[in-house]
Amino acid sequence: MITEVLAALFVELPFETNYIASIVRVSLYVSLVAVVLSTLFSLPVAMVVGFSQFPGKSLVTAIINTGMGFPSVVVGLVVLFGLSSGGPLGFLDLVFTPEAMIISQFVLATPVITGVSLAAVTSVEENVRDAAYVMGGTRLDVALVVIKEARFGIATAILAGFGRAISEVGSVLIVGGNIAYADGTSYTRNLTTAIQLEARQGRFETAMFLGAILVGIVLLVNGLVTRMGGGGRAKR
Amino acid sequence: MILSTENVHHAYDGTQVFEGVSLSVDRGETLAIIGPSGAGKSTLLRLLALFEQPNEGRISYEDTDVWTLSDGKRLKIRRNVGMVFQEASLFDASTLRNAEYGLRVRQPWPKRVKNEIGDLVGKQNGTTEAALEALEVVGLDGKEAQDARSLSGGEAQRVAFARALAYDPDILLLDEPSSDLDPRNTAVLEAAISEARSRGIGIVIATHDMHQAKRIADRVGVLLGSEIIEIGSTKRVFENPHDERTRKFIDGELIY
Repeated sequence: MITEVLAALFVELPFETNYIASIVRVSLYVSLVAVVLSTLFSLPVAMVVGFSQFPGKSLVTAIINTGMGFPSVVVGLVVLFGLSSGGPLGFLDLVFTPEAMIISQFVLATPVITGVSLAAVTSVEENVRDAAYVMGGTRLDVALVVIKEARFGIATAILAGFGRAISEVGSVLIVGGNIAYADGTSYTRNLTTAIQLEARQGRFETAMFLGAILVGIVLLVNGLVTRMGGGGRAKR
Repeated sequence: MILSTENVHHAYDGTQVFEGVSLSVDRGETLAIIGPSGAGKSTLLRLLALFEQPNEGRISYEDTDVWTLSDGKRLKIRRNVGMVFQEASLFDASTLRNAEYGLRVRQPWPKRVKNEIGDLVGKQNGTTEAALEALEVVGLDGKEAQDARSLSGGEAQRVAFARALAYDPDILLLDEPSSDLDPRNTAVLEAAISEARSRGIGIVIATHDMHQAKRIADRVGVLLGSEIIEIGSTKRVFENPHDERTRKFIDGELIY
């Protein structure tokens, strides 16, 4: 809807408002679902890695940190292999669907959300956890206190994961296929893949407009991250 | 005796901290554990708070060995014990929410969720009254809406005490609660400790402040060299110590 309003302001735009709106819709749908799923997975992992002792903990931490910088095209390739008809998840028939894009963005966002959340939860003072425990808290109560104390850091992690997901192009192009319906609206075309396509076809105005929307979203997310960072509390 | 240790041996980080520590505390009495820094006073209190199991020996609550119980039954016992640390360790929330915490975790989940929603719309709930009353005991009535982490060090420690008092435990463990406080805040805290004692709460306070031990304790235990070398009434221990090391420690002559 916002896109439609924005497009209406530029009355001479040489492209379809519905086309733009559908691309933004697909982008937000894919990235938001991926980030929600990633958060649900990442938070418990961060808590377990942060506060449990187990063999291979250093290795798990190293994998999380390495995953934060993992090349998105490689992730796309691995997800495509997994979902293709000969792959282990081929029976799901998800190749070139928004759900395949969600899976690839989930893989990309998870290390970021887990890594930043891990740093946030482990920065919560031990004596605050002890206080929750000694007042009769169960493990769940202590975990909830930690999450609440680290809420600004965790929010930063989620926003950073969203930024990583919505701005990447390699993996969604590979697993989503950049497909539009016959009426021109998007099926698996998101902002980044559409920009790539429009620029390649010489429709620079459309590419620039899509780019402006993407930059706007990323700026908004970065603004929120900065704000959240300022609201966080370090050890004292 | 409501809470006791019997022949407790315990090592911490590879160092033997206790070798046969036995003590007990009853309802309505104050036991001060005195000893030099590093003697293991905090570790002893953490064992009494059931943070961890001693390597050997028995910790009993009303004559039941707590470490033979299931986690669920031990949780019930833990919920009869409160503890205040040397640092206030407050949560990032209002003074009132800090004071309410122990009461909240004792509520069944549906009620807790309802109270959390009530907080969002500014509605008082069943835990508020007891928390406000505890804040009043430590002289912080009127500051319930203030961000707890914006309080002074002395006020923060008083909130920590109120937070433990609010759920009316049988035992309160105080780990050098006034070591960083000025005389006024120390006096307020000691008055609150007396109030808790008068309510029948058993108190174990670890301190290296001899004067404080004399002021508030019914009995004193001297923790030195991995063991309680002497335990008895405050008057007797300070005026007529049976162990020469106790006398030297009290007189500041003991080199350790």
